[in-house]
Amino acid sequence: MKYFAGIDIGSTSIKITLTDEEKNIIGFKTSASGSMFYKYAQETLDSLLQELNIDKNDLAYIVATGYGRKLYKEADENISEITANAIGAIAAAKEYGEIKTVINIGGQDSKAISLDSEGNVVNFAMNDRCAAGTGKFLDVVALKLEIGVDELGDYHFKSTGTPLSVSSTCAVFAESEIIGLLGNNHSVEDIVCGVHYSIAKRIVKLVKRVGVKEGIYFDGGPAMNEGLVNAIENELGKKIFIPKYPQVTTSYGAAIMGVDSYRYEQNL
Amino acid sequence: MLNKIKKFINNGDLRKVRFWIQLVTFILFVYGGYFAISFGSSFPIFTCPFNDESSAICYLISLQHQLAMPTQVIFSMASLGILIGLITFIAWFAVLNKAWCGYMCPFGTLQDWITALRKRMGIRFSTYTQNEFENLSKIKYIFLAIILLVPLFMGLGVLDREWTHAFCQMCPARIISPMFVGDFSQWTIDFSSITVMILTGIGVAFTGLFFVGSFVKKRFFCFFCPMSGLHYIFSKFSIIRFTKEGDKCTRCGDCYAVCDMQIKDIADDVISKNILRDDCILCLKCVAACPEDDALHIDIFNIKTFSSTKEGFNKRMGIQKFKGSIDE
Amino acid sequence: MSNNNQHKIESPKDRQNRHKAMEAIKLLNSIKEDFKSPVKSMDYFYDLFERVYCKNEALHSENVKVGTMCIQIPSEIIYALDGVPIRLCNGFYTDDEIGSDLLPQKACPLVKATVGHFASGNFSDKPDIVFSPTTCDQKTKSGAIIQTFGYDVIDVDFPRTKESEESREYFRKSIKEFTTKLSKFQNKKLSRKNLKASISKIGYAQSLYHELSKYRENTIVPILGIDVFLITNAFFFDKIDNWIEAMESLLVELDNRNKEKINAAGKLSPRIVYTGSPPIFPNYKIPHIIEQSDAIIVADETCSSNRMFNDMVAVDEWLVNDMLDSIADKYLKACTCPIFTKNDDRIRRIIHLAKQYKADGVIYQAFAGCTVYEMEQRSVLEAMEKAGIPILYIESDYSPSQHGQLSTRIEAFIESLKTRRRNKK
Repeated sequence: MKYFAGIDIGSTSIKITLTDEEKNIIGFKTSASGSMFYKYAQETLDSLLQELNIDKNDLAYIVATGYGRKLYKEADENISEITANAIGAIAAAKEYGEIKTVINIGGQDSKAISLDSEGNVVNFAMNDRCAAGTGKFLDVVALKLEIGVDELGDYHFKSTGTPLSVSSTCAVFAESEIIGLLGNNHSVEDIVCGVHYSIAKRIVKLVKRVGVKEGIYFDGGPAMNEGLVNAIENELGKKIFIPKYPQVTTSYGAAIMGVDSYRYEQNL
Repeated sequence: MLNKIKKFINNGDLRKVRFWIQLVTFILFVYGGYFAISFGSSFPIFTCPFNDESSAICYLISLQHQLAMPTQVIFSMASLGILIGLITFIAWFAVLNKAWCGYMCPFGTLQDWITALRKRMGIRFSTYTQNEFENLSKIKYIFLAIILLVPLFMGLGVLDREWTHAFCQMCPARIISPMFVGDFSQWTIDFSSITVMILTGIGVAFTGLFFVGSFVKKRFFCFFCPMSGLHYIFSKFSIIRFTKEGDKCTRCGDCYAVCDMQIKDIADDVISKNILRDDCILCLKCVAACPEDDALHIDIFNIKTFSSTKEGFNKRMGIQKFKGSIDE
Repeated sequence: MSNNNQHKIESPKDRQNRHKAMEAIKLLNSIKEDFKSPVKSMDYFYDLFERVYCKNEALHSENVKVGTMCIQIPSEIIYALDGVPIRLCNGFYTDDEIGSDLLPQKACPLVKATVGHFASGNFSDKPDIVFSPTTCDQKTKSGAIIQTFGYDVIDVDFPRTKESEESREYFRKSIKEFTTKLSKFQNKKLSRKNLKASISKIGYAQSLYHELSKYRENTIVPILGIDVFLITNAFFFDKIDNWIEAMESLLVELDNRNKEKINAAGKLSPRIVYTGSPPIFPNYKIPHIIEQSDAIIVADETCSSNRMFNDMVAVDEWLVNDMLDSIADKYLKACTCPIFTKNDDRIRRIIHLAKQYKADGVIYQAFAGCTVYEMEQRSVLEAMEKAGIPILYIESDYSPSQHGQLSTRIEAFIESLKTRRRNKK
């Protein structure tokens, strides 16, 4: 039995997905990136293999992706997270239908990818210069409002009235803006809703740069935030598909790439 | 083998080729009469019959005479004569398209020799501004109108015999061509009637203007030449095509810089495939001066014959050749 | 008192030299070592850059150095008047930082670096006079700033349109004015013989570049794009006779490599046309990432490379004024700088290059702060889409810290080109 690993070394967290030769997900694990990505990635991979009772020698091919991809020297191949994300999205949404647009909000960046009918990347846009509109922004907000990041979705739906305008151009200064809003007696629910819409507006602008085509897929840690998803759907005016495990789409894509590369090598 | 021939042609020294062709044709057409050579009376260049030894007759004078018949005669069998004359003219023309102007016309050759004299003396040529160019360019069609309409009016009886070949009375070629055989008799103003006085007076004035103009401007007369306008109308029927491949053109303007006729389209138009314009004398200086491969080329029967090439450009501009070229 | 006070503080000049040398050597070493099958004849150029930028060797001590701020100042005229043209466009982050104190934060890094260099006054070949054509806003205004540092800066009028007769006449007059001023400065008159000779010489140098480019049209390309950028960049400041000689040896070697089918890139490396803000040594970040990501640059449309050599001067009558007019026309009409109102010529050139060199994609790089290239982006992207040519638009500046972000984008683009290729088969 051969196994394939996709290792996504992001700026905030490391995601590892294991698949079999039929490209089915066998298991996955996430951990924080910290300062020693290489060490933590290896440890995470080892513990995942242990949990699934897989011998390291059965690992046929490893593909690394994400910002830290070149540091993982054991990888057989490395690819950009854009390509990996696209591949993962198409596979994860197989039962849903054809995917033409992929939206990803990560810890410190966000991207929009446009695909053709064969699933090839035709265009992409990234925001990796500024944390506004990324997971970091949500972290900062949750911390300031003294609630958990996983509670943000619930608070969103409890908001009444129109979403507040949270206009910060900088995630760091968002804190000051929130203090102002709290001071004006706005509720935490309304503020959370406003923050979600602020991120949604940014992300929709990014997506428009590559063209909004139906069959929209949204992944990345923040995709688990149903409030954020709701805000994006409203801004886009279209329904979007959220996979079961949004955090691992990219590493899943990398693992699938591994299967294809392995098969190609065997056929040579 | 074919490539070798192509290279030889494309690398040719156009200046030399043109000089020799012009010299031979000048002698042939101006002095051909001494050898009893005759090319007929529908010739598409200024081979003026006022020069007794001319070996051909300029179509314009024939045309004016043919159209000057009384109106009833014109719309009878005599019109066949006009048609034959026209078809002969088109047949001659079709062989070389407007290259008749650039290589064959003795009047054009004369202007090129005057230009060569000016170059020897180190004097700079002058040019028309774009506005002047556009306005002056229309004059040839006014002359062409005179050539076609005046004889018809004569036929109608509106104008009488003093208007015979009115254009030729004004044309400087009538005065200059006989000079080559020592005949200066055309240098006169005919005072027999006011009309003739004015027409021949204009003739003398134009001739003076011609000498001054050709000295300071390359191919001065050709801007106003009605034959050129007539050529352009029939240019579609020629076996020679002047083609531009616009996507290879960088609009660098090298062709415009060398064009005697100041034709801007040759540089700026990157959409038209047929780049022959009404002022063009098809001297091919632009093709020789184009530094891009195949951007401009002359096609005979739609086969590329002389084409612009980097190699040819370098040779003609006097840029040394790199010995280890990939083309060797 | 602690012992920390004993250490010497480095002079600003030494510090600047050291930092610039570090930038230069880092890039040169990477080019020499990171790629397979290096071209032996490139050693001349690597050595040249090391001598000039690391060891601060002066190349033109006996000649009058005429500094030029942009590509539109004709070298032919400068050589004919016994000057040596030195293109002053600067690519160092060190100088960019110096210039940042003097220019707005969002200004073009190339202009900042050039101004910073002047401010520091630290030249191995210091220009005796500087000619600055009125091209983009930032270049145009930097002339006056540079003048305050004590340099002789002469403005050369350059039109912002090139279609009209007025602009042609304008620039012809401008070039005559330039010639007069330089003549006066040099106390020499322009002779017909000298001008014809310099037109021929520059023409020959250009024809050598065309020979080089022919090899890049092949399926197996014997030389990397980054090496070609070095070669054309060297033309900014090298002794022209040495440059010509080095090019001739290079061409002989490329002929051999071509016969032996030595590939500078991989078998399936996508072929790229590079365009946009000029990559000036040592700011070769993006070409470097492109070629390290298993692609190869086969052609470019930039003013630091292709644009200098692409179009040649044609003269009808070899009299001085005719030659000057031909030169003026070529430098204006053939110019594809985005400072003009219309950019059709640039789009046509990119498409033509993509077809001629069988490129798989185009990478369009604009400096953050470069108004003209940023504004042209839309029309170029639309044109490429219409022509079916994949294009990546990337913004960057001189700061060394963007590597990860740039490489992600470039690698994703190259991966998509490879997929396209595979699918086409």
